[in-house]
Amino acid sequence: MGSLSVEVVGKFGSKEDANKLLYAPITTAATFRKSRVYQLQFDGDEGEAKGFIDRCLVDQYADEVSLDQDSYFNEYQFYIDYGMKPGALDLEKEAILSSQKGDDGNGFKLLSLKLLQRVYIFSELEISSEPFVRDVCNPAIHVWSVIDSNGRKIA
Amino acid sequence: MEERPNALLLKFPGTNCDFETARALEASGFSTTILPIAAFKKESLNSVKLVVLSSGFSYGDYVMAGRLAQLETQRKVGDALTRFRDNGGYMLGICNGFQILTKLGLLPEGSLIDNTSGRFICKWVHLKKNNDQNAFLNGLPETFELPIAHAEGRFVAPDGAAESYVENGLAALLYHDDVNGSSSQIAGLSDQSGRVLGLMPHPERFLWDSHHYDPNWQGDNSGWGAGYMIFKSIYNTIIKE
Repeated sequence: MGSLSVEVVGKFGSKEDANKLLYAPITTAATFRKSRVYQLQFDGDEGEAKGFIDRCLVDQYADEVSLDQDSYFNEYQFYIDYGMKPGALDLEKEAILSSQKGDDGNGFKLLSLKLLQRVYIFSELEISSEPFVRDVCNPAIHVWSVIDSNGRKIA
Repeated sequence: MEERPNALLLKFPGTNCDFETARALEASGFSTTILPIAAFKKESLNSVKLVVLSSGFSYGDYVMAGRLAQLETQRKVGDALTRFRDNGGYMLGICNGFQILTKLGLLPEGSLIDNTSGRFICKWVHLKKNNDQNAFLNGLPETFELPIAHAEGRFVAPDGAAESYVENGLAALLYHDDVNGSSSQIAGLSDQSGRVLGLMPHPERFLWDSHHYDPNWQGDNSGWGAGYMIFKSIYNTIIKE
């Protein structure tokens, strides 16, 4: 069984005011970027699995792809990874799995797929992740983790 | 009796403007069939003159707008749409349909991504024609208005490509103002053959002058809106062939 973790970032995106993410603005200057993370487990040819990623999950004109385990951006204060709770119906995941199953002659079989949205927060000053988690994530449907600038999981 | 050429409106799970688009096609003279992609067969394109991909949120816009519809179309339809165009057929993609046609490679290189604002934009916009010969636009005035409603309508292309599309007329339709960050303010794009057009604005939402946001708007006093003129232009082109 093989596994791949892919982070997809919009090539044409830029850092935006982090207050756009919040219901109540903060006074510290901060910016954010978003990315998508796909974690795949598969049986079969890794090249075919990468081909599936390029074909299905990435926009060849507008996206950049990182296959590293490391985060795409650095010098962030923290980033939040959030996705659907296990057991919750993740329609996006189901649609991707269903689309992949429809392909004939794939040299690999997708065993599992995890989708995460990643939000990086950048700031010159120390900043709390709490308001961002509160306003970005929905505890009814999401699970999340917060990684600080040292790579430590802080929530 | 008036000849009614056949239009085929391909529908995906999440397509939600098929009824209005079919109404617009019928009003302009087409005989229209709405066909779910799952029911597509080789012979579905027989005697069809125009294929339309209407707007909506195919497959919930998952991954990116139009991607899963593109993959499903490639699986179900194969290269039948390319052959259809090469044999003289016309194709129109509206909003989500434009995104799908772009991803299918039936339009010049580029992609439609999130608006620069990062938000869904729903408003009326001023547009200008950039190609008088285009079969879908030849009946329209130089400038006109249509509504837009999209989150992923910002056209981006490889370096220098957008400018060249404007120069050579492939960018058949331009926004008058920068509404969503589109390169060279491209609102609609045609392929080299001129038989395929994709556009982000919604012509099916401006059939009659009563659709206009200004209750006193009278346009050219014909009673028809600019959206109708797009469907009528392609109807007239097909009828003359």
